Amino acid sequence: MATAAVAIVRPLELEQASLWSDAWRRLRRNRLALVASIYLVLLVVVALVALVYTPFRMSAVGVAATYSPPSAAHLLGADELGRDILSRLMVGAQVSLIVGVGTQLLVLAVGVPIGLAAGYYKGWFDSVVSFVINVFYGVPDILVAMIMVFLLGPSLTNIIIAIVVTRWMDMARLVRGQALSIREREFVEAARASGARPLKMLFGHILPNALGPIIVQATFGIPSAILFEAFLSFLGVGVQPPTPSWGSMANEGVQAIQYAPHMVIAPSIALSLTLMAFNFLGDGLRDALDPRSRR
Amino acid sequence: MFTRGTLIYVAQRIVLIGFTVLVVSSVVFLGIHRLPGDALFSEKLRGQQYQVLLHHYGLDQPLYVQYRDFVVGVVTRGDLGESLVNRGLKITPLVLRETAVSAEVGALALIFTIGLGMVFGIFAAVRQNTWLDYVLTTTSVIGYSVPNFVIAAFLILLFGVWLQNLTQGAFFYQLGAWTGGLGQLWLPAFALGFPYASIVARLTRASMLEVIRQDYIRTARAKGLRETVIMVRHALRNALIPVITILGPLVIGIITGSVVIENFFGIPGLGKEFAQSILNRDYAIVIGVFTMYAALVGLANLLVDLAYVVIDPRIRY
Repeated sequence: MATAAVAIVRPLELEQASLWSDAWRRLRRNRLALVASIYLVLLVVVALVALVYTPFRMSAVGVAATYSPPSAAHLLGADELGRDILSRLMVGAQVSLIVGVGTQLLVLAVGVPIGLAAGYYKGWFDSVVSFVINVFYGVPDILVAMIMVFLLGPSLTNIIIAIVVTRWMDMARLVRGQALSIREREFVEAARASGARPLKMLFGHILPNALGPIIVQATFGIPSAILFEAFLSFLGVGVQPPTPSWGSMANEGVQAIQYAPHMVIAPSIALSLTLMAFNFLGDGLRDALDPRSRR
Repeated sequence: MFTRGTLIYVAQRIVLIGFTVLVVSSVVFLGIHRLPGDALFSEKLRGQQYQVLLHHYGLDQPLYVQYRDFVVGVVTRGDLGESLVNRGLKITPLVLRETAVSAEVGALALIFTIGLGMVFGIFAAVRQNTWLDYVLTTTSVIGYSVPNFVIAAFLILLFGVWLQNLTQGAFFYQLGAWTGGLGQLWLPAFALGFPYASIVARLTRASMLEVIRQDYIRTARAKGLRETVIMVRHALRNALIPVITILGPLVIGIITGSVVIENFFGIPGLGKEFAQSILNRDYAIVIGVFTMYAALVGLANLLVDLAYVVIDPRIRY
């Protein structure tokens, strides 16, 4: 009995492995995606290093002359309170990564089950979900997030919650669409005929076959969440001082744009490069995981 | 193009928009009024004076009475109430005035978005796989990755600071007090529209590439029509249909993006008011501005749906 089971399972495993290794091979050939991945790995390293070491304490006031331009001691200069911008940029990387990855994990946790159930069961549940998704698409997300952060109080957790509330629909809609098409395939019928339980059905049969698009969507979701947080912080309703965020640093820089342009340039470039890297990686993953959608 | 059916459809949609606006503003109203404290509370007014003010705003009433008064005021008189911080300031005229300013910026941004996006997209498609195509495609990835306030900051550095120094002030972007002239308008509008122009460019390119391979384009070529005529009259019209589908999200994007851009440039529009009143804890204005936004988004979506009918004669309502 046991050997028979092994014999059935093994070829399936081999097939799956080749799909993912194919994707991996295609991704490595994509030079832009490769450069983007290297940048992102470095960014994660910087964020981790900032946990234990920054050149100066990020909130230490007056370690340099106020508004001083980049120098050997302060590579990216100092801000309006004489704080070291490089140190603040490093801590800002932590904030951006936590917000980006944190929201996407929550979006996965919310969007995937809802989308799976709506697409697989159809009927009234699907109607309700589709209606709610459309309602959420109709309201301007930043405004809702601003009100939510305002009502809940501006902490990192609440910012993440606000972003998830205004952004879970992208994932739910994608997963619903995938489930709708996958449920019609023969292997699902076979699983149903052999009496698979609902949970096994959704997470064991449908979900693994929708994994590619889900990964791509989550990758594109990260930069959009980082951008969202930067917007909120730029407007003063995001991460509160003294914790630096690239958005609030850019805002402080804009106030001094005429005499200390380095203050706005540093966070702007960090933010833009990071968003670009995630977008290029997302493009690469999409081409790698779904060769048919190649442009 | 437009029939009696269209008219009925529009009427239905407007009723639906009114209903949505009411629901959305009710959620915000009830959410905010559940909070302890208010703008009056923070002024440390005491005794008689505080009671008088509470009564003036109806804040001494039970919540359902406040809510009823709010809804009745909005529905019958279009009255959004009075600012809690600037006493005596009526919100409805304020919001309408600011909507006009925001609409001006938004409209110009939309022209930039669609104009630039389509021109870039068409050229990239017609010159597919040439250096022009690669430059335009790469620019568009950068365009939608870079936040609008970063674009704005670099444009200000370029036109407001460096170019001013370079030309001894002969040519520069005027920072400072908002006058609303076109000279001040173009930069915020460009920064607001550029990220979305990249998306339009990508979409236009993709759908143009699909359309120009079709038989009727070959027929047009065989007839000996000039290439420009084929591209503009035959290809573009069909290539536009997928572009129209993202107009809705695009308009919403420009509306939300304007919150950041207006605060950046100090433009006295809805977005600046919204952020300011959130920071000032002026709940009455927050509710009023949000209600206005909900109505704007509804109307924008309706206009987009009507644009389908103009572009694609197969669609009727």
